[in-house]
Amino acid sequence: MTLDNINKPDIDRIIRVDHAGEYGANRIYAGQMAVLGRTTVGPVIQQMWNQEKDHLKKFNELMVTFRVRPTILLPFWNVAGFALGAGTALLGKEGAMACTVAVEESISAHYNNQMRTLMEEDPEKYKELLQIIKKFRDDELEHHDIGLDHDAELAPAYSLLKTAIQIGCKAAIFLSERI
Amino acid sequence: MAAAGSLRRAGWGLLRCPPVLRCPAQRAFYASALMRRASDEQKQELPPSSSQQRYESHPPGDRPDQEPQRSHHSYTDQGGEESEDYESEEQLQQRILTAALKFVPAHGWTADAIAEGAKSLGLSVAAAGMFHTDGSELILHFVSQCNSELSNLLEQQQKLVQLGQAEKKKTDQFLRDAVEARLRMLIPYIEKWPQAVSILLLPHNIPASLNLLTSMVDDMWHYAGDQSTDINWYTRRAVLAGIYNTTELVMMQDSSSDFEETWHFLENRIADAMTMGHTAKQVQSTGEALVQGLMGAAVTVKNLAGLNQRR
Repeated sequence: MTLDNINKPDIDRIIRVDHAGEYGANRIYAGQMAVLGRTTVGPVIQQMWNQEKDHLKKFNELMVTFRVRPTILLPFWNVAGFALGAGTALLGKEGAMACTVAVEESISAHYNNQMRTLMEEDPEKYKELLQIIKKFRDDELEHHDIGLDHDAELAPAYSLLKTAIQIGCKAAIFLSERI
Repeated sequence: MAAAGSLRRAGWGLLRCPPVLRCPAQRAFYASALMRRASDEQKQELPPSSSQQRYESHPPGDRPDQEPQRSHHSYTDQGGEESEDYESEEQLQQRILTAALKFVPAHGWTADAIAEGAKSLGLSVAAAGMFHTDGSELILHFVSQCNSELSNLLEQQQKLVQLGQAEKKKTDQFLRDAVEARLRMLIPYIEKWPQAVSILLLPHNIPASLNLLTSMVDDMWHYAGDQSTDINWYTRRAVLAGIYNTTELVMMQDSSSDFEETWHFLENRIADAMTMGHTAKQVQSTGEALVQGLMGAAVTVKNLAGLNQRR
């Protein structure tokens, strides 16, 4: 998989949206830590945050290697992510976990879609990228399960909250792919 | 010779006087350069051989004699479905435009230059009818060609640095040299360049010319070693595009010997941009220090007022 032989428009989108996603996830956890950092659930959030930081680092590298333009909405995701994390954390630790569950579910489904696209196109050529996305998807599913384990479903208005957040994620994915 | 197969289109026999044997390989790169800037899909048709051609820089308009040999290979390509002397419409257009560049200093960026170019290739002057009358395609072709040349130049310089045969330049020096190298390509056409700029600003040309400008600026920053993945990606390119455009304007009015004033102007603009970058960083760190100071003061006040005690 080199700069010359890939399907540039598709790979551009994939890397741009994934980079934006990991950046947003970072900011969400930062918001949650700002509110809940000193509670019992702080270390759990910190650990998930550290994994997201690794993900972001990897996408930064891929972005430079494949000369992909970052989405211009990054400053917006910066603020919106932090606000979402802090806002749901203010609902209590269950609220924060519910936010985690919603976001991680969206992201896992999104990574699955991307993997399907890449496999349909050329599994051999994109092997490396597929491995990276697969690993990250597994990490996100782990976060999702951690969220459920920590009483996410006991959050106030859980299904409403979850649906609203997932709609927001879909919109964010749509925009970041294009803008 | 996959290029031959992938780029064959309906012929233009009417406009061609003698039968011509052409090799599409070299043309394929230029045929793609203009179209590709506007449309990404066509990039996928980029034949493997052209990735090597990127490292060859060659002057426009004079590739006479390799065709007869290569055309023998093309005969066996793709089941030999068409004869060897076939070239696609795009390739023909690229050849005509390249040939027309020689006549631009005399005729300007006009259909006349294109007609002369066609004539010089032994084709009918009616070939100029393939293009718009305002000379847009000729100018876009020229810009695209200059950008490719710049890309090749920067790529070669990068190789030399990687091999340890050249010193790595500092960012401001690198950008200065890159912009200067690119602007120098305009020197043979500088008399008529103002006309070209105004044509490029016509609404129907703006998407294509903007595309060419942004990809040139992206190339320059890439080879300068930019690794930003945040909003800086945009600000850097916007600033460099501004520097390039203003320097180009200065160049068109410069009458000093070897355009010294232009390069002086360029140096100052780049220095300004660097200063702006440093100042932005300083403002940010001052802001952060200030916030920390305020937080410290707030905690101190809370302590003094006894609000921080645990009961």
